[in-house]
Amino acid sequence: MKHIFLVSILAAFAACSGESQPPLVASDVIVMETMPGMNMTAAYMTLTNNSEDDIRITRVTSPGFASVELHETVIEDDVSRMRKLPELIVPAGGSATLERGGMHLMLMRQTGDNAAVSLQIWSGDTMLLTIETSYTKR
Amino acid sequence: MPIKTLLVGVALLITLIAGILTFMLVEQAPRATAPQTAMLFADQSELPEFELLDHDGNEVGKEVFKGHWNLVFFGFTHCPDICPMTLTVLADAQRQLRERGLALPRIVLVSVDPERDTPDKLGQYIDYFGEGNLGLTGDLGQIRKLTTALGIFFEKTPSDGDNYSVDHSAVVMIIDPDGRQHGIFSSPHVAGNFVNDLPIIMARQ
Repeated sequence: MKHIFLVSILAAFAACSGESQPPLVASDVIVMETMPGMNMTAAYMTLTNNSEDDIRITRVTSPGFASVELHETVIEDDVSRMRKLPELIVPAGGSATLERGGMHLMLMRQTGDNAAVSLQIWSGDTMLLTIETSYTKR
Repeated sequence: MPIKTLLVGVALLITLIAGILTFMLVEQAPRATAPQTAMLFADQSELPEFELLDHDGNEVGKEVFKGHWNLVFFGFTHCPDICPMTLTVLADAQRQLRERGLALPRIVLVSVDPERDTPDKLGQYIDYFGEGNLGLTGDLGQIRKLTTALGIFFEKTPSDGDNYSVDHSAVVMIIDPDGRQHGIFSSPHVAGNFVNDLPIIMARQ
């Protein structure tokens, strides 16, 4: 909606895909600013897989945070439970949505400031996508 | 009198009557007299005695709720998703009520993670969502006195290493100015639900 962020894609990955579009695209990226006194926050986005193969996201990194984990909030019977997910599969030709109250990135132990943020999305040792954006105020 | 003038006069008269009738119908249309989303308790019990710390570090008991309509959420500051999302919804509801010149409820965050939520940390957190709100933390056993009475669940769940999360009820409890359990908003929370229901609820006292 608000933003479409792209994004440096590994040239080799793009070449292998044989597609004119990048294989993995992030849109509607929101990284919430950290609140006063806190050094963690959450990020949301839609990841679209333009390739013919499933994309397996195994980790996300950020130079501004010591740790980034993929989490999911599940609310059942009015109880909120947050769990770490080992990986995220974006299906071939489909998308995965990270949204409030659902799957999200948990960014922990902020080392930078609230000026800008960078996220790298990995599949194993291959970096699929770099996202550069600014923080969103709550 | 020319016919044209007469017709114009009749047309104006019909328009006037139609306007008056429309106004009367709108005024007499049934208005919501009961909350649409919140569930109000038939038995509005008093809270148990407890001793907690407010976000300024003051020792407080159940009297801390008195004199305000309180929207009470149980969460923790290291919760990146559902807690700030809920508090943002409550702050948005406060803003909309303020814009309409209506009475405002107070947002209260009771920590379910007192190990990490010091009064100071809780104060910085709750202040982020507006002025006049309240954070409560303190001894875990004292927090459990309050949560047990209100039917609030919370449980520490280990994560990697020393890290942990806390599963917790996502409801928003309503505690009235007499310090009684008044009702509950179940999740998911939408600002409009609070804006619609709270003036009705708060007018009842």
